Amino acid sequence: MNSWQKLACAVLALVLGASLAANLLAPGGYAKQYREATNAPPSHAHWLGTDDVGRDRFARVLYGTRISLLLAPAAALLSTLMAALIGGLAGYLGGTWARMAMAVTDLFLSLPWLFLLITARALMPLNVSPQVSALVTFMLLGFLGWTAAARVLCTTAGSLRSSDFVRQARAAGLPGQRLFWVHVMPNLRPVLYAQFWISIPVFILSEANLGILGLGVAEPMPSWGSLLKELEGLVSVGEEPWKFVPLILLVVVVTSFQLLLSRQEGVAA
Amino acid sequence: MSSARQNQILLSAQLSVRYAGKQPVLRDVQLEIQRGEVLGLVGQSGSGKSTLAMAILGLLDKKRAQTEGTIRFQDSELLQLSEHELRALRGRAVALVLQSPLSALNPALKIRTQLREAWRAHAAGGTTECANAIRASLQSVSLPADDEFLRKYPSQMSVGQAQRVLIAMAVMHRPALLIADEATSALDVITQSEILALFRDLNRSTGMAILYISHDLASVAGICDRIAILHRGEIVECGTTEQIFAHPQHEYTQRLMAALPRILPANPQLQAKTEAAAAR
Repeated sequence: MNSWQKLACAVLALVLGASLAANLLAPGGYAKQYREATNAPPSHAHWLGTDDVGRDRFARVLYGTRISLLLAPAAALLSTLMAALIGGLAGYLGGTWARMAMAVTDLFLSLPWLFLLITARALMPLNVSPQVSALVTFMLLGFLGWTAAARVLCTTAGSLRSSDFVRQARAAGLPGQRLFWVHVMPNLRPVLYAQFWISIPVFILSEANLGILGLGVAEPMPSWGSLLKELEGLVSVGEEPWKFVPLILLVVVVTSFQLLLSRQEGVAA
Repeated sequence: MSSARQNQILLSAQLSVRYAGKQPVLRDVQLEIQRGEVLGLVGQSGSGKSTLAMAILGLLDKKRAQTEGTIRFQDSELLQLSEHELRALRGRAVALVLQSPLSALNPALKIRTQLREAWRAHAAGGTTECANAIRASLQSVSLPADDEFLRKYPSQMSVGQAQRVLIAMAVMHRPALLIADEATSALDVITQSEILALFRDLNRSTGMAILYISHDLASVAGICDRIAILHRGEIVECGTTEQIFAHPQHEYTQRLMAALPRILPANPQLQAKTEAAAAR
């Protein structure tokens, strides 16, 4: 791990730590409205000011960060597991199974991703609770994000199927499912780790994009996407620079993940 | 054929194998392996040696390879068995040792896990029984059975140790037939001789028959009771080791014998000194 990667680790630990301590750092919570101080600039009471309905922006950034940093890895885990099962199993079984799985993968890959997310999100009832909307948004990302990884895993599992150690294990009398779980899956682990780390920043950015379009996590629950929505009406950069904090935080966190990712790719290689 | 001789036959094969749209890999190959004997199968690369081994184990790709004939093993006709029945035989009655130990062992698994999986494929029992079986099989190939060794990954072992682990896995269930497919070809000369001695010891101590597949005549001569010569998918000659080396009949066998390296033929004095040193 080089010094940049150590710095990335420290940044992520700091941001995650702060977001998990949101209850202590911003005891007022993300939904409390300070009606007497709407659209207020930063002050001792509100470090990043308040939004147009008087909610403390610092609290919203902390809680929004918590949601993105906890749910994006959960979505990444879901997509990685789906890729492992669908791609890994299809590659291991080979033949018709592999062709069928790759046909489904191609179909998913050719779908317009953002449009599909918007459609699926728009189909949900309007009165859905914020917690459910957050969960559904990230689960949708995870459910739709397995395809590219499945293709890589299918190829890798296919080459493992004809490896000497799988042939030796077959000759020892191991049944098919033991061959897959005990001999093939551990060798897919480096690819799975890399895929997991790749997916986290992708899902964070995807949620942010959906949030800007008003299709992410529902109000009043904050997320980086809904926080960035505030920038829509901004006229000049210099006028209210504190509104850029969520954007800066998003860039810093995604960059930190990318720096760590280069290490994971090294491990996978 | 007398019934006594019939009882001695462990495996009897008459086999042709062809891949779709290609020349036959094996053409009406006839092979017999007696109980407890070491049969050498010699032939150059591409002659069909490994295909024969895989056919015996039922590991040829059924969609690509067309297999005709019979493989009689103990009381079973192997080509008639279902995959489930074949799996019950693999590792328990017929075992395999491949050429390259470091690629034949799973690089992501500890030795303990690989041995445990091999044991569990054919045995039901608790942790203690499994540990005892692993210890016994490692001791039979002169490897340590302590925790430190079992925690190792294949990459943390020498090639010779890895080959012994493979052999330990193969003999764990005391198979009647061990197929060693170029099992010493990837080893240095000293390790090769150690592994050959190990095969010989296992053969003598357990009565396990060995089909020793190799293109290396010197190693075959050191271990085998009989030798079959495979050339372009056909067994062209089969006889005792002495017959094959002293009186090769087929032209291809004669060419193989002629190609054997002679040690220092141009310098008899040096050869005499070398032989004297070896005798000491």
